[in-house]
Amino acid sequence: MALIPAMTITIVCFYGFIIWTFVISLTRSRLLPVYKFTGFEQYVRLFANERWWTAMQNLAIHGFLFIGGCVVFGYFLAILIDRGVKAEGMFRTLFMLPLSMSFIVTGVIWQWVMNPGLGLQEAVRALGWTGFEFNWIVRPDRSIYTLAIAGIWQQVGLCMALFLAGLRNIDPNIWKASRVDGIPVWRVYLHIITPMMRTVFFTVFILMSAIVMKAFDLVVALTGGGPGFSSDLPARFVVDHILNRQELGLGAAGAFVLLCTVIAVISPYIYFELKKERGGRGH
Amino acid sequence: MMKFSKIAASVAFLSVGVSAGALHAQTAEVLHWWTSGSEQAALGEIRKAFEAKGGTWVDTPIAGGGNARAAAVNRMLGGDPAAVFQFSIGQQLRELADQGLLANVGDVATAENWDEKLPPLIVKAAKYDGNYIAAPINIHGENWMFYNTAVLEEAGIEVPKTWDDFIAAAEKLKAAGVTPIGLGGQPWQERIMFNSVLLGVAGREFYAELYSTLDDDLLKSDTMRKVFETFAALKPFVDEASPGRNWNEATNMVAKGEAAFQFMGDWAKGEIIAAGIEPGTTVGCAFAPAIDTAYIMTVDAFAFSAMDGEHATPAQTLMAQVMLEPDVQIAFNKKKGSIPARLDVPADSFDVCAQTAIKTLQDKKTHLVSTGLFGVPSAVSGAIDDTISNFWNSADMSPEEGQAQFQQAISYAK
Repeated sequence: MALIPAMTITIVCFYGFIIWTFVISLTRSRLLPVYKFTGFEQYVRLFANERWWTAMQNLAIHGFLFIGGCVVFGYFLAILIDRGVKAEGMFRTLFMLPLSMSFIVTGVIWQWVMNPGLGLQEAVRALGWTGFEFNWIVRPDRSIYTLAIAGIWQQVGLCMALFLAGLRNIDPNIWKASRVDGIPVWRVYLHIITPMMRTVFFTVFILMSAIVMKAFDLVVALTGGGPGFSSDLPARFVVDHILNRQELGLGAAGAFVLLCTVIAVISPYIYFELKKERGGRGH
Repeated sequence: MMKFSKIAASVAFLSVGVSAGALHAQTAEVLHWWTSGSEQAALGEIRKAFEAKGGTWVDTPIAGGGNARAAAVNRMLGGDPAAVFQFSIGQQLRELADQGLLANVGDVATAENWDEKLPPLIVKAAKYDGNYIAAPINIHGENWMFYNTAVLEEAGIEVPKTWDDFIAAAEKLKAAGVTPIGLGGQPWQERIMFNSVLLGVAGREFYAELYSTLDDDLLKSDTMRKVFETFAALKPFVDEASPGRNWNEATNMVAKGEAAFQFMGDWAKGEIIAAGIEPGTTVGCAFAPAIDTAYIMTVDAFAFSAMDGEHATPAQTLMAQVMLEPDVQIAFNKKKGSIPARLDVPADSFDVCAQTAIKTLQDKKTHLVSTGLFGVPSAVSGAIDDTISNFWNSADMSPEEGQAQFQQAISYAK
């Protein structure tokens, strides 16, 4: 009973608007919603749009690099801290600090750092190494990677904290046993600890996936989708078309395709994990 | 008895209406996106004139054109419209009028004879069903070429009149170690440069026909091929850090002599003045190289929400009238860096560049519209920006491919 208000809000605001978006995507709406249906014409236009495909491809590249980078670096940092470094508190704070900044600020900082005229490249050249090149942000074939760099820099602290919490929950007896058996530390991590951290990996994956899907502010601040539209992402494509170009129908079609893609990619994993967990508990 | 009470009631209602009217008649909320220093100063001139005539101005600035347009539309749909709101004229505004959301200021326009005083292309875009639904207040030009006179002199270069001349000059400058073109690598800035090339290579008649018909044959023509080839030939003349740069940073490069040319709208003058330079001196202005003379116009305008019915309220009428008064037009446009929308306003108090523009526009054949905000539907405008920017930034794309993509993107968007 107590859940009814929350449920109503979820159903109306979430599922209701998903349906509404789909309905709009079937109309010829431009600036205002009009209910003149044109079938799947907006989807035809969307799929003929070069920029949309660049954005989708970028989503895959960015998702892979960003999630992969956050997991690998986050886990690695967590292990280093877990091994008992001096001044653990300081390092933890240091890695967590970027998280306190919004993606907009992160984007602006990295835009300056990576700008070939005034950032890292110029600084290194000024030191005398004149052949140094770091101009990814202005190269259409590299700009998408700059998003992953800035994104990982910001989110790696959160992943580290989650992994560290997981590592601290590992039964100390496992370490004692492995020491008795004389197993090298790296093998303990790889073959014993990592499988035990399954649920933490799952949490990190879901959290980071959500960040990838809604990635909008980082692109806007870091590259503005450029050069050209080489670093565009679907969320920016959708917002740009709905708000700036008065292409409500096309934007809605983009949003709906994005939703379907997300469901198609994420749901098998979630299903697999949850099933396993439930099965595990049953035993 | 019945009748009497009815009359009494309506009299009471009327008197309330009148007193409320007297209080509120001249109050207008103005929603706009002019938040920068020079823009606010310019708008302040209109406000001053409006208040001098007894109006009360309620200011609602919203940063960012896209945000402000969205806010204006949302408030209209929500039943709480701002009486006067900044918007671009053209198709989108007509879409609002289709839904009965706009009031028309036809009475003022007829009384003041706007039809005669405004450029015909702007008249067409500001009207719906034969009535004005917006007050166009200025004209910005987009085919300007700003240049650093000292840099040109040092390299021994005349201001180029054709694109071939320009390319030869740019090669000389590059050899001398100057960045020939200060370009802000954002899609709309790249498009401004592209349209200048299009106008310069293909001529004003081709430009006007291409963007008014969006015809496939024109898009596929050899003339268009030449435009793309010329545009591609400019690629080596920008510096490495160009992508993503803001337009005002590029203007500053020219002001400081780091770059020789910038292709930008006349709002760049504001930045030049801010750098302590009178436009037309150290930083000169000329039309971008072209085979004939033309002016690519873009317009700032204010539209009027339907408060009750399609007729403008007294406050809206007063606002429309004030906005196009000659004195206000001069004061406003001098601060904004644009030229008056009315072509009958005396030009002598403006700077050299603006005087050139006003003189040029006396010949109606020079009138062209920008694809940015009012020349073409916004979907087409977006498609143009996307493909031009993609072409400009893809080093290995041939002019043929660029042209083909341009044609395809436009045919899907129109």
